[in-house]
Amino acid sequence: MNLTQSKPLRIVAGIVATALIIFLLVLPQLSHTKDSELFTLTLMFTSIALCINWNLTGGFTGYVDFGHAVWFGTGAYVTAILMSRQSSLVPQEWPLIPSLLIGALAAGLLANLVGRLTLRLSGAYFSIAMLGFLVFMREVIRVWRPLTNGGTGLTLPPARNVPLWFYVELVLVLALILFTWWLRRTRFGASLVAIREDETGAEMRGINTTRNKVWVFTFSAFSTGLFGSMWAYQNTALEPDTAFVEVRTIDAVMGTMLGGLGTVLGPVIGMIVLYWLREVVWANFLDYHLIMQGLILGFIVLYLPKGLMGLFGADAVSIKRLFGIGGDDEEGRSSTFDGMETAMDEDGNLRETERQPVTLDGGSS
Amino acid sequence: MTQPVLEARGVVKRFGGLTAVNNVDIHVLPGEMVGLIGPNGSGKTTLFDCLSRVQDLTEGSVMLNGNDITNVEAHQVAHLGLSRTFQVIRVYRELTVIENMELSVQWGEVGLLNLFRRAPKSVTDKADGLVDLLMLTRLRDEHAGSLSGGQRRLLELGMALMSDPSIVLLDEATSGVNPSLIEEIKERIRLLNRERGVAFLLVEHDIRFVKDLCERVVVMNYGEKLAEGSPDAIMENDAVIEAYFGADVADDEDGGAL
Repeated sequence: MNLTQSKPLRIVAGIVATALIIFLLVLPQLSHTKDSELFTLTLMFTSIALCINWNLTGGFTGYVDFGHAVWFGTGAYVTAILMSRQSSLVPQEWPLIPSLLIGALAAGLLANLVGRLTLRLSGAYFSIAMLGFLVFMREVIRVWRPLTNGGTGLTLPPARNVPLWFYVELVLVLALILFTWWLRRTRFGASLVAIREDETGAEMRGINTTRNKVWVFTFSAFSTGLFGSMWAYQNTALEPDTAFVEVRTIDAVMGTMLGGLGTVLGPVIGMIVLYWLREVVWANFLDYHLIMQGLILGFIVLYLPKGLMGLFGADAVSIKRLFGIGGDDEEGRSSTFDGMETAMDEDGNLRETERQPVTLDGGSS
Repeated sequence: MTQPVLEARGVVKRFGGLTAVNNVDIHVLPGEMVGLIGPNGSGKTTLFDCLSRVQDLTEGSVMLNGNDITNVEAHQVAHLGLSRTFQVIRVYRELTVIENMELSVQWGEVGLLNLFRRAPKSVTDKADGLVDLLMLTRLRDEHAGSLSGGQRRLLELGMALMSDPSIVLLDEATSGVNPSLIEEIKERIRLLNRERGVAFLLVEHDIRFVKDLCERVVVMNYGEKLAEGSPDAIMENDAVIEAYFGADVADDEDGGAL
């Protein structure tokens, strides 16, 4: 049953999405909207963008990047170094727009170089290598005092216009969603799924898997770096421990898993739900919110391996498949036994399907 | 003498101390059907992997349509006219049958822009034609993961044919496929060979399948080429019988066993 193909549901989803977008567009104009509320929503946009970017490599291509926060931190730090006066190597104050762009480009370039090495690794090796790179970069930033001002961190000129950046990030997130939707429909997007499903097979059928992996990794890092740059500017202060923090990766992974890995809208829905949980529910359980975060993660892995989108029958990848748990036996495996086709349903029970006779005239009878 | 489609010389493949393939020469002429047989662990699949660049050769060289492919990148082999299927089926399970097919056509290198387009109608038509030929029409828009083992074998064969290869390496195309479907596959292979001049090199445990299709058979044992010749000659070769059934049978029955 695939509810995502059902027309009424699509219409309802379309209306909800349109209403949500209009609400967000009008929100800054309402007189009683506080800047702090807009800033919280802007941070949510950032988190959604990170989910979408993480999903490009993690969900579509199947390369689970546990160090994704490093691209956020790189973008943030490069922008901060350029704009701040506290970096003794770059003392002059750069203008905003070039600083943001250079920050994003630096993240993309770094990912391109690192990806050429680490994307040769597969499965958990890649994940661990990227986690290691995150820690490595954080320490480099801490130690390289002349450039980064070390553990003290950097302060940026206070020039905040909260509603403007709210709009900028909203538009960028919407553009990212459209971009993902379009990308999945191109040959390049399909080749990413092919790499996830069977990299050797894809390579043998003429897909330049290395090039495609590095490209999508580079774009993902560039985009996350851009949001990191904007975060640094809006936050006006940063230090290694706030820019390069593992929680940011975990958030991206959790949001995407909750929504549905390898789907276009999964990361968006997952992160909105996660934010809602955090702001509304956890605010009342301050002491326990980390415990609840852990419990939710466990719940997703055990009972919702295809995420919320999977509940509606979308083509989400099961977490267990992505992490190689259970491998081929996990789902949809069919075996032929005495000519009777049997297939396992999702609970692992054998279900009998009607035997389909082999016809010689094209099988369309 | 015509130039072979595929010609490998002195192929050696070692894994640490184990020599999986030892100094094997093999060639396939245009439009020829060659069988590759041998007991389990005799190095057939490793040889396939060396020929198709899944594995690096330790020594030796491979020529494909006059191009030296010994050191090219694996994804270029398909562009140069060689495609293959796998012993363990490799299809993209989360993509539909038609997406699997479209993705296997060779146009990625035509230009970067082509990467960022959907499949043009000509590609879809070609894929549909092969889907029809392989009796998968009914399953066109199903996920490959929901296909049965035999259907996946057919899909894999179709994917191999999407690149208009001059030679296809089939690695146990009939394992796990029911007998009536085996006959069908055999017919399709023969048809492709006759009408499109596609050469086939096939690893197969079903001796009858090899005998019916192939003009020439290469036998491997312990990583070395044991014998080569017409199917009938091979079946009567003492060394081959010994490899398959042990020395006693070869002595007692004097080669009539197969």
